[in-house]
Amino acid sequence: MAQLGFYYDMTICTSCKVCQIACSDKNDLEVGTLFRKVYNFEGGEFPNPWAYNLSIACNHCAEPKCTKNCPTGALYKREKDGIVMFDEGKCIGCKMCTWSCPYGQPKYIESKGKSGKCNFCVDLIDAGEEPACVAACQMRALEFGDIEELRKKYGSTADIKGLPDSGITKPHLTIHPNKEAMK
Amino acid sequence: MANLVEKAINHKLNRRSFLGLSAGAVAAVTLPGCGLQKVDADKAAELSQMEGEWITAACWHNCGGRCLNKAYVVEGVVIRQKTDDTHPDSPDFPQQRGCARGRSHRKMVLGADRLKYPMKRKNWEPGGGKKELRGKDEWVRISWDEALDIMASEIMRIKDKYGNASFFAPAGGSGGGMEPQRLLNAYGGCTERWGNVSWGSWPDVYSTVTGLPNNGASSGNDRFRLRDSKLIILWGANPAQSSQGLPTYNYLQAKKAGAKFIVIDPLYTESARTLGDQWIPVRPATDTTLLLGMAHYIITNNLLDQNFLNNCTIGFDADHMPAGADPKENFKDYVLGTFDGTPKTPEWASEICGVSVDIIKKFAHEYATTKPAAIISGGAPARINNGEHLPHAMMTLAYMTGNIGIPGAGVSPNMHNSATNAGPALVQPGGNGIPKVNNPIAKSRINSGEMWDAVLDGQFTESKGKKVDVNIQMIWNWFSHTLNQRAGATRGIEAHKKVEFAVAQNLFLTTDARYSDLVLPVTSQWERLGGLLTGNREILIYHTQVIKPLFEAKSDMWIVTEIAKRLGVDTKIVNPITEEQELYNQIAGATVMKADGSGYEKLVTFTAEDIQALGAKGTPQTGRISYQEFKEKGIYQVPRSRGDKLEFTSFEDFLADPVGKKLATPSGKFEIYCDTLSKKIDKIGFSTKSPIPKYDPPLEGYEDGVKDGYPFQIVTIHYYRRSHSTLDNVPWLREAFPQEFWMNAGDAAKLGIKTNDIVKVSSRHGVAIRPAYVTERIMPGVVALGEGAWVEMDELAGVDKAGSTGIINGHIATGQGHSGYNSCNVKVEKYDKPLEPDYKWPQRIIF
Repeated sequence: MAQLGFYYDMTICTSCKVCQIACSDKNDLEVGTLFRKVYNFEGGEFPNPWAYNLSIACNHCAEPKCTKNCPTGALYKREKDGIVMFDEGKCIGCKMCTWSCPYGQPKYIESKGKSGKCNFCVDLIDAGEEPACVAACQMRALEFGDIEELRKKYGSTADIKGLPDSGITKPHLTIHPNKEAMK
Repeated sequence: MANLVEKAINHKLNRRSFLGLSAGAVAAVTLPGCGLQKVDADKAAELSQMEGEWITAACWHNCGGRCLNKAYVVEGVVIRQKTDDTHPDSPDFPQQRGCARGRSHRKMVLGADRLKYPMKRKNWEPGGGKKELRGKDEWVRISWDEALDIMASEIMRIKDKYGNASFFAPAGGSGGGMEPQRLLNAYGGCTERWGNVSWGSWPDVYSTVTGLPNNGASSGNDRFRLRDSKLIILWGANPAQSSQGLPTYNYLQAKKAGAKFIVIDPLYTESARTLGDQWIPVRPATDTTLLLGMAHYIITNNLLDQNFLNNCTIGFDADHMPAGADPKENFKDYVLGTFDGTPKTPEWASEICGVSVDIIKKFAHEYATTKPAAIISGGAPARINNGEHLPHAMMTLAYMTGNIGIPGAGVSPNMHNSATNAGPALVQPGGNGIPKVNNPIAKSRINSGEMWDAVLDGQFTESKGKKVDVNIQMIWNWFSHTLNQRAGATRGIEAHKKVEFAVAQNLFLTTDARYSDLVLPVTSQWERLGGLLTGNREILIYHTQVIKPLFEAKSDMWIVTEIAKRLGVDTKIVNPITEEQELYNQIAGATVMKADGSGYEKLVTFTAEDIQALGAKGTPQTGRISYQEFKEKGIYQVPRSRGDKLEFTSFEDFLADPVGKKLATPSGKFEIYCDTLSKKIDKIGFSTKSPIPKYDPPLEGYEDGVKDGYPFQIVTIHYYRRSHSTLDNVPWLREAFPQEFWMNAGDAAKLGIKTNDIVKVSSRHGVAIRPAYVTERIMPGVVALGEGAWVEMDELAGVDKAGSTGIINGHIATGQGHSGYNSCNVKVEKYDKPLEPDYKWPQRIIF
């Protein structure tokens, strides 16, 4: 199977944050930890303001820093679809991953003393379902699938204002950006 | 208050230590049945290996949407939730996907702050005890027997001393349909509350001007016909926030089909951002002047659809007035200023509404020359004091341009469950078979805008010129969180402290429960047998029981039935049929529109075994789907496609034959001059309205703010975090949506306010503090706050820390007795004390 990635249509996202909550529900997260988070940006000047939102989770990068810097192998890429997996049993809570990711993705969970992250809802997709965030989106602004297919369909923009240079980790993410978000 | 908070914190700690589990060893799974226990990691691992069941879970709130919600339950433990996946998703046959609130339900239903036991106030005594301690007294756990005995003895005592009119049952509105009202009505009656909240001034205006028996919310176009629109004007409508579920997605399909969107709103909303081609910010409560300025442009530039006006309306000009009316009182001459000397020009309008003359003219021109164009309003612009002119003027603008009765055109407050999908329900439940219990003192009904004054001052308006004495001594709160959600909560708290007995039944220690003497824990819909929920016209949801009742929670019906026994009231009147029969009646009576649109047929097939298994009595029947399929899917969604026989546009029949198919108005036409409306408002007795739409500055509108030295107008918006006040206590949602106070960047700079500074917001009616959100997305002079936050009074400082708009908004009755949340003036200043983010506040855990 090909590398999986996310597509996000920023232009139609209403910041309802159901993706964020569906993620917290699926992963049973406590307040303070979010594997997917919606950010809000704005600018301009009244009466010509602009605003855009950004829903982001782990991008299951081609060259993830988290896997590279994890000392125990708790973080690794799954062979068949490139999902960045997390083995909680191997995690020693050193926080290296949280410092390594330019997207701030693996989260340190205080109550567990270990990290945690988006695993693409691997149990769901292995069962033929969609990740919780994608299946939840009210505007159908989030999709997932073979990243090459998504890029063919929607372009390959992963560099927008507010995100790090995609050259660092080569994220499997493509975004339909508002014009104000373009770099 | 400080005591209560401290106590809540201690109890939280005690609860943790009681469970004896360290945070690190706990998997966050919650066990119902025997309480809100956390299960340990071993148990969680065991559960994860077991096969569970997806149960259709009620998502039952008044949220403006309706979606499918499912809970995955293993061995009685709710593991997670999901939304509609009963069929593949497409724009024409979309899944009914839920919102962040719906997806948080398990954190509400199984929240650690659920009320677990009946409780009474420590210093309560028959007759009230130390009434001034309401809101800050300690709580004492009591048995159900004691709680029910207190209820019965206080009800008897108060009836003997003051009579039935002293019982105030404000939550359910008029009509006697709900449990406490059923009991009180069977016991001689009670004083009820009336007055619509959500729809502003639309209901009486829409129904009277058009002759249709509804408030206009389900008028306009269905979602397919919307795709015929060339221009869609969202006037004070923000479906992305106030009608979650499908509406914004449906609008997106209209946009893809070619519709241009213009959004009129003081805020650059998410709807404006995602749909809008143009945003026109307007001052709150002044929209009528914008409409009149547009009307002036349309008249003076010969853009009228004179044929439509002549054939389908009455009262536009002196030649088309109803018999007996003063010909000078016509709309055209009012707009032109023929007799009052004030032409309602775009220049005149611009001064008041803040929209530039140029934009008013261009907007008017575009609307008048585009067909089909739809004006779709939210309730918000009409949710103002003296609001009746606004819908009337808006409808008149559509009549002037003939933009109604053709697919893709129209004018209506097409909002809430019906947003983007107007038309009669295509699938609907049957009746539950429970007869109402009439109120023997039905005339004792107080408008929302007068109710707390009536409790405090002993008088209310029955009709024009008729004030009636009333002596309220018991307030029974349940269901709709009246104290928090109606304007004038500052007075409401005083009123709660005045009466001899205040009681609340709820899931949580909500505002009304906090200021009561006795608090009764009720079950949520997840803990009950099940029921049907309606939403957009294409769906009917059948939700079933998810978990067993938590702790000692009981249903509202059980509570009133037990009290009835103690009062000697016939329980068969209060509680006439079983829950099972009630559910069966609704399902068996459910009907669905035939594909050719010719009428309804039965939805559900019932076998004798199905009926027996449900525990009801009935006869087997044949319908479109089996009972088992309905139960398993939890939803029936009517198949739809473009061009089907179920598409809908309001007034198509009338337009096709205005003579043969007259409207049910006295003139048989749309009434621009509407004497019936004028007389109706006059009779109610709060204010007056001329028969034609005019601009009559609303009480506490823009002009009053300028006059009285309040520099800001506040708009009360629906907020993502909660459905009105429901779900406000869910930590996930508090974290996602912080209840921020919107303020224009230029205004904020003048006051030295930056984002996240704590600001103090003062109206004539109350004071609140909140973190500021400084933005270019709101008009200068306007501020905004989400409605529904649970009041959290800092009594020493005299401020509400939660930022409840019920505290800020005034307790005022005007027009048809609707609530005027968007006409309110405030002052804003920097506050000198910090405020923790809401999600870090201690939950209201008592036991």
